[in-house]
Amino acid sequence: MSQPPRNSPASLRLVTRTEPQDASSQPSEDHELDWSILMARAQDGDSVAYRRLLTGIAPYLRSLAARRHREPNDQEDAVQDVLLCVHAIRHTYDPARPFGPWLTAIANRRIVDRLRRQGRRNRYETPLTAQHESVAADPARLPTDHRALEAALAVLPPGQRRAVHLLKLEELSLKDAEAASGISIASLKVTVHRALKTLRSLMSDRSQP
Amino acid sequence: MIATQDLIGSLAANLRPVRRLSPPLLRAAGWLGLAVIVLVLLSIVQGTRSDLLQRLREPGFAISIAAAALTGALAALAAFAVSVPGRSRLWMLLPLPALAVWLGSVGAQCLTHWVPLDTGSIGLAETARCFATLVLTSLPLSLAMLIMQRHVVVLRSVSTMLMGSLAVAAVTAAALPLFHAFDATLMILIWNFGTGALILAVGVFASWRLTS
Repeated sequence: MSQPPRNSPASLRLVTRTEPQDASSQPSEDHELDWSILMARAQDGDSVAYRRLLTGIAPYLRSLAARRHREPNDQEDAVQDVLLCVHAIRHTYDPARPFGPWLTAIANRRIVDRLRRQGRRNRYETPLTAQHESVAADPARLPTDHRALEAALAVLPPGQRRAVHLLKLEELSLKDAEAASGISIASLKVTVHRALKTLRSLMSDRSQP
Repeated sequence: MIATQDLIGSLAANLRPVRRLSPPLLRAAGWLGLAVIVLVLLSIVQGTRSDLLQRLREPGFAISIAAAALTGALAALAAFAVSVPGRSRLWMLLPLPALAVWLGSVGAQCLTHWVPLDTGSIGLAETARCFATLVLTSLPLSLAMLIMQRHVVVLRSVSTMLMGSLAVAAVTAAALPLFHAFDATLMILIWNFGTGALILAVGVFASWRLTS
């Protein structure tokens, strides 16, 4: 899991207990204090402290996600979603206040939102069956779909089009796409999500009679 | 799917120092300061109503404006407090007593001084000026609230937007009688409840659209 940080400042020895030994469902007071210190340092730009903090809170977030999601993939997605959210609004944490309630509020909010999104999606989507595969493989449909997709892609802003090309058409991993485009993984995730939302709406409009 | 450890590595590698959010009280004070500036500018440009001092001596009128302004101030404080993750939602109860006094005073004015709406006394120009005051007060305050609370978008906190909208609505409702004479009870009702309800509805709808 976490590696001992190289060149870590001496004062970080105060927080060595943050090594994630367990995935307890409640952060202990010691953990909270350590996390609070680490977040305060992260807010000042200490990336070593930040890595230790995120590694430390991940098992706790996983235990929270496991209460709502059964699939391990869903749990991991939820953990990553919360980590991205923590990253985006880390400036809202006040080191004078306990870290646990701050983190738990964000985690619960994002996990519940994710469940809602899944619920909405499940209402409109059905699992892929063999019958769907045979229809999708119909060569007569492919040119039209391809043209429609190209037309829809042309409408997207350049940044979103590039993200879709890299991640969905060339099927690069997020890491490779980050290297290829110079855009951060967090931004790529958001951009491709927005692009797919727009494409979905464009393609559904086209499929309307 | 990217491995969580890789994501953590990437987030840590791209870490930038951030400026911590100021305490809710300080942020609310900043927002209220902006509200005062907007009202002062409006009074310079539009001028207050001619009988303002005389009307302020009437307890009903003064209590109504003071309660609306207090509701705005407390709702702003509540909005900035509940926008911070982990803060108690009980903050949302803070503006309720002032809100009750404000709504009660408007209701009492209607019961004791019922003046029917005389359509001949209210011209199109006066209505347009009232609308301009409404927009010029609520728009900059709403935008300021939105910018100051932009971090809430990822949390989809409708409660924050509800409190923020209540703050804008109450401040606007407190401002309108300072600039325009509403002697007709129906106008008071329309402006107080209508303005409040409209701004609340727009605020909640906008927050719902922004966060979905």
